Amino acid sequence: MEHKPSILVYDLGGCEGCPLSILRVYPELKEIADLYTHHLGEIDLDKEYDVAVITGPICINEPEDIDILKKIRSRVRTLIAYGSCASVGGITLFCRGGQEPRPEHRTFQPISAIVNVDYAIPGCPPAPNLFIALVNSLRGGRGYFLQLFASVARAKRLSGFDLLDNIVLTGLCISCGACIISCPTNALQMIDRKPDLIVEKCIRCGTCCVRCPRFTQVLIQKYVLKKEVI
Amino acid sequence: MAYPIPIDKPLGEYKSVYLARASDESIRRRRIGSGGAVTALLLYMIENNVVDAVVTARRTKGVTGEIVVARSREELLEAAGTKWSVLPFTLKLKEALSDESIKKVAMVGLPCQAQFLWQMKLFPVLETDFSGKIHFIVSLFCIGTFATEAFLSSLHRLYGINPDQVSGIHIVGDTLVIKYDNNEKKIILSEAIPYMQLGCLVCPDYTGIFSDLSAGISEQFPGFTVLISRSNKSEKYLKDAAEKGYIELLKAPVHIAEEIEIKARAKMIRAQKYMTLVL
Repeated sequence: MEHKPSILVYDLGGCEGCPLSILRVYPELKEIADLYTHHLGEIDLDKEYDVAVITGPICINEPEDIDILKKIRSRVRTLIAYGSCASVGGITLFCRGGQEPRPEHRTFQPISAIVNVDYAIPGCPPAPNLFIALVNSLRGGRGYFLQLFASVARAKRLSGFDLLDNIVLTGLCISCGACIISCPTNALQMIDRKPDLIVEKCIRCGTCCVRCPRFTQVLIQKYVLKKEVI
Repeated sequence: MAYPIPIDKPLGEYKSVYLARASDESIRRRRIGSGGAVTALLLYMIENNVVDAVVTARRTKGVTGEIVVARSREELLEAAGTKWSVLPFTLKLKEALSDESIKKVAMVGLPCQAQFLWQMKLFPVLETDFSGKIHFIVSLFCIGTFATEAFLSSLHRLYGINPDQVSGIHIVGDTLVIKYDNNEKKIILSEAIPYMQLGCLVCPDYTGIFSDLSAGISEQFPGFTVLISRSNKSEKYLKDAAEKGYIELLKAPVHIAEEIEIKARAKMIRAQKYMTLVL
């Protein structure tokens, strides 16, 4: 992508942490991309954009949102799930229906449940600078960053539980402590040189998984390379 | 940065390969087998205010160690030596780096730790990340680390060596030399491999492709450190350190890079073999 890309940021709902984190780098961002979002005025969903960035999870009991999501997918070349809810489900996976303030909303899913996602970036919310790194990587076109987040888009779900199942309990953990430093809720603790999960604290944001040197290797091997072999 | 590491480029992307050693005799004497160039380079960084602190590991006893944050010459020299386990970079690191007086640090670690720090710089997922403070990453060559308990218990079971007696472990060619109570025990490396951590057996990275500088030893040049410089930053600091007399720096002959490539490729093949068992 050699020209300045046009980026649509569309928020499906949630705590607004992700759109806010993007807006915070707007002064730098406008130098490298054209940004279109509700927060900066009206947006036109019929226009074509190079990249669409979706924040917030999709409620599968909400046909209107599903239609909008499908429409955006059909109009853009690259669709990115930004933040934990949109990319891996996040804390909204704990919704189980019948709850205030919107009891009719029963099941929230990462947007990859409805449409094909090119890159999924977890983080609750991702730090503002991550968006700059993302735009630069997109303009570069390839590299480790995009490879990793393409595999997250296919994994669909990542959390402290997956970290334990796939890395710690399989014996792949090398006790480096990356996950513990990364956890925003301190849900991981080191016990006998291995991470252990305090389940009540895990918000399923997936940050630990994309930080773990072994999990990232497994993800890329499993989802990106396998496809190339076939 | 490419992943997986291409088989024709097992050392990843790099600028140049050097042979180096510390100019200072007293640093060299502390070392077993290598030239102490990393210690001398870090010393240059601290004394010339390139960084405020160096985060590295120090052996405490036997094969265990702890993380140290070195801010002076003395603290740094204390930590010199080959490390034999991955140490959790966790609470201590967070604590040290939230210290306001530390603005820039150099990190020394194994390839996995270098990867995690590099990832932290590449995508700052959390706002509380201290990735802005990480200025320079040094990765040490690594064939893998042992599952400490399993390895020590096997030493005890097979050879009657008590874990508390072990004073040092290092590799000479294909053998592992274990020093204990003024004795030496030589074990063929392939015998010890099953006692490595599974996470290390699936790791394809020998030199640490996610770093500014990789460092290790070559058997052809004992007494020297092999340095693989990967960034403009590291080229600059190496040359400056050589000019200021901290290190002696030579361009490495081609066969040095070839020797390292053979080892790196062997690790990649091993990783592939074990990864198929896991996936």
